[in-house]
Amino acid sequence: MKILAITEQREGKWNKTSFETLAAAQQIAKDVGGTLAALVIGKSVAGLADELAGKSISEVLLVEHELLGAYTPDGYSLALKQAIAQTTPDLVVLPHTYEVRDFAPKLATSLAKGMIGDCIGYRHENGRLIFVRQMFQGKTAADVSFVGAGPWFATFQAGAFRADLVAAHPSGKAAVRKIDVELKPEQIRTKPGELFREAKQAVDLTQAPIIVAVGRGIKAPENIPLAEKLAKAIGGEIAASRPICDEGWLPMERQIGSSGQTVAPKLYLALGISGAIQHVVGMKGSRTIVAINKDQNAPIFEVADYGIVADIFEIIPALTEELEKSKAS
Amino acid sequence: MDADVLIVGAGPAGLACALHLSQLIRKHNQAGGKPELSTENIYVLEKGREIGAHQLSGAIMDPVAMRELVPDFEKAPPFDTPVSSDAFYFFTGKRAWKSPVTPPPFHNHGNYIVSLNKLVKWMGGLVEKEGVNLFTQFAGANLIYENGGIAGVITEDKGVDKNGKPKDNYTPGYELRAKVTVLAEGPRGSLTKQLVIKYKLDGINPQTYGIGIKELWEVPAGRIEPGWVAHSLGWPLPLDIYGGGWIYGLKDNRVSLGMVSALEYRDPLFDPHMAFQQYKTHPFVRRILEGGKMVRYGAKTVPYGGWYSRPQSSVSGGLIIGDSGSLLNSQRLKGIHTAIKSGMLAAETIFDALRAGDTSAEKLSAYPKKVESSWIKKELWAVRNFHQGFQHGFFRGMFSTAMQQISGGRGFVDPARAKPGYEEYRKLNRGPELVDQSGRFKGDGTLTFDRLTDVFHSGTRHEEDQPCHLVVLEPDICGNRCVREYGNPCQYFCPAAVYEMVKEKNVARLKINASNCVHCKTCDIADPYQIINWIPPEGGGGPNYEGM
Repeated sequence: MKILAITEQREGKWNKTSFETLAAAQQIAKDVGGTLAALVIGKSVAGLADELAGKSISEVLLVEHELLGAYTPDGYSLALKQAIAQTTPDLVVLPHTYEVRDFAPKLATSLAKGMIGDCIGYRHENGRLIFVRQMFQGKTAADVSFVGAGPWFATFQAGAFRADLVAAHPSGKAAVRKIDVELKPEQIRTKPGELFREAKQAVDLTQAPIIVAVGRGIKAPENIPLAEKLAKAIGGEIAASRPICDEGWLPMERQIGSSGQTVAPKLYLALGISGAIQHVVGMKGSRTIVAINKDQNAPIFEVADYGIVADIFEIIPALTEELEKSKAS
Repeated sequence: MDADVLIVGAGPAGLACALHLSQLIRKHNQAGGKPELSTENIYVLEKGREIGAHQLSGAIMDPVAMRELVPDFEKAPPFDTPVSSDAFYFFTGKRAWKSPVTPPPFHNHGNYIVSLNKLVKWMGGLVEKEGVNLFTQFAGANLIYENGGIAGVITEDKGVDKNGKPKDNYTPGYELRAKVTVLAEGPRGSLTKQLVIKYKLDGINPQTYGIGIKELWEVPAGRIEPGWVAHSLGWPLPLDIYGGGWIYGLKDNRVSLGMVSALEYRDPLFDPHMAFQQYKTHPFVRRILEGGKMVRYGAKTVPYGGWYSRPQSSVSGGLIIGDSGSLLNSQRLKGIHTAIKSGMLAAETIFDALRAGDTSAEKLSAYPKKVESSWIKKELWAVRNFHQGFQHGFFRGMFSTAMQQISGGRGFVDPARAKPGYEEYRKLNRGPELVDQSGRFKGDGTLTFDRLTDVFHSGTRHEEDQPCHLVVLEPDICGNRCVREYGNPCQYFCPAAVYEMVKEKNVARLKINASNCVHCKTCDIADPYQIINWIPPEGGGGPNYEGM
């Protein structure tokens, strides 16, 4: 059996799960008595190919092209299809990364072959390879196998195999074979944009010493900046009760309460928050709670250290102004 | 993934079906029966966080069915306590009149007060031991229709955000195909509703419902005997509302109390939650609760329709059992025993079908026939016209009941017709202003509570960033028509403060606090325009009725 492991790199840096998949591929090759080739794809990645050559494999396939500099599903699937045609593997294994999830189904479909995705292991039984994948959020494991002729595709979940168990080449280095592929710019329909970095870290309200929280009393999204101004003046984070975040007036990560975050700042300023128990459980541990609410019977006053029965729209601007004045002086 | 049997809903009916089928398969395999069957090919889907999480009932259980299912169950009792005494009261605002005789339907000697949550959890353990696959936190979103029947379900998509976009943890629903799919979803099941509409499976009468609201209390020692049972009619419910209260003494100074109101009242601004809160202020009830602590809250609908509201309960590849199949006895307000029995009868039907390799409509029609020849029919037949009598008020209901008692259930007209409860609302014909909510019941915080405080005690939790699972088909109706015609009853009938009318820039619209939802299904039932469609939220969401 000829096995091909496809690795992943971006801007010349390995995706570490590539080596987990390589470890899996080495084990499979050993179990079934097959040969293993590893493939690296991109633009100017000969250095990476050289690194791969030090591992226990029969050869390294180097797929380089001008148009493979940035990842595109069209570029990758077209290039890999040609590489597979030239090397005729029986089994192609890949790490189950975001990129692979994107192009591998397309690649397998273009060859009219099956793919088993997100496997956590495999077994070799009676001459047959069986792949194991999770179902029902890990509650059960399903055994899945291929029918028909290869090449078959399988992807492995991150962490399913250990990268440190990749065996080194027993006698120096494997050969690097360059695979020529043809790609035309018009075949690539996606235009890669700026690389998307990790989403901005969600605010960690639990670390904020001062929190200014708004509730239904704020009435409309247009009024949120009023509270934000106060938060800025007092040096605190803005937060809210559930209805405000539910309406989308503030992002969900700023929600305090049983279905949001639980906080215990030094100062908690509750503006127009009635104090339903769902909210109170998320903030009652605050050192000092100041509540401003029109309704003197609002339950928030039961947990507040200081309470002002007043219209928040009178208090907020006045308070902001005073704070700014004292800062200026 | 293909199963032999897929059961939707791990309540008493669904689990009884799984357990009894496992028992039959075990015996069959031990006797060397062919073809060999496996309990591993029985799948149960449950939308709750764990088995029992969404189970809510009073509850008094007639043990007749459980003795058939688990003959020695009384040795390791999953129930709370046997009923030691029962009494029946009529409440006026200040007094409680004890009926000199307890009406026969409320005789509870020999029955058990149970926590349905604990009972079902215990059943779940037995089912799991048999090797059945129980999948909690998975709901059935859609049915797979095939051959004029059903061939399985598609579970709900997970990891979808508010706007319907996939999130990082997006997992599309699984297509679970099965030879037989059993709908055991309880009252107003969302798949059952789809199936009944799709194949026009309605019974003679439309289904009618009540809403039950319950609190579990811990009271000072000596207030109430374990096993003490009281039911009441009257105050605070007006005489045109069919319903009443219950108080059950449990072990360890716990009290189960609640109130059921039929969802077929005239006043669209009637608030069943507030009625229950008022009920607790009656001197008779207050005496028991005072100084105690409310520990848990819940609400759930009850199907009242009975025998004539049963949908056709078998199709090719599918069965409907338990409350979904309208098998509750509305006179005794008991449905656990009939649910269990129907699950067992379904199991016997499926067992025969699997052995024969035939799950056609004809083969599975053995199930309704088995129900017909079982004691379920006998019990429900005697009260087949009971609830309909009460659609015209309390006194006519009592009179009809008396007539039915002496005529073996026949009464004046047989079958007595019923109409859907939402048709009963009186039109208010008011202006376009929203009904002022500032005077809504707030409770005193010790004996009585507002809805949000109660919801907190239901342990309800949902993933917040998901599409709203309460689908309003024509949202314009709420702010334009409903406000004038009915004053937006959703703000009143919902026991979890999910629905709220808000006015912004002079436009009235419905705001849905879906994460408060306790999965009682009242909105789907009681909305006057029938435009609210309750669909399951992401699995695992909903109440946590631990100990209820």
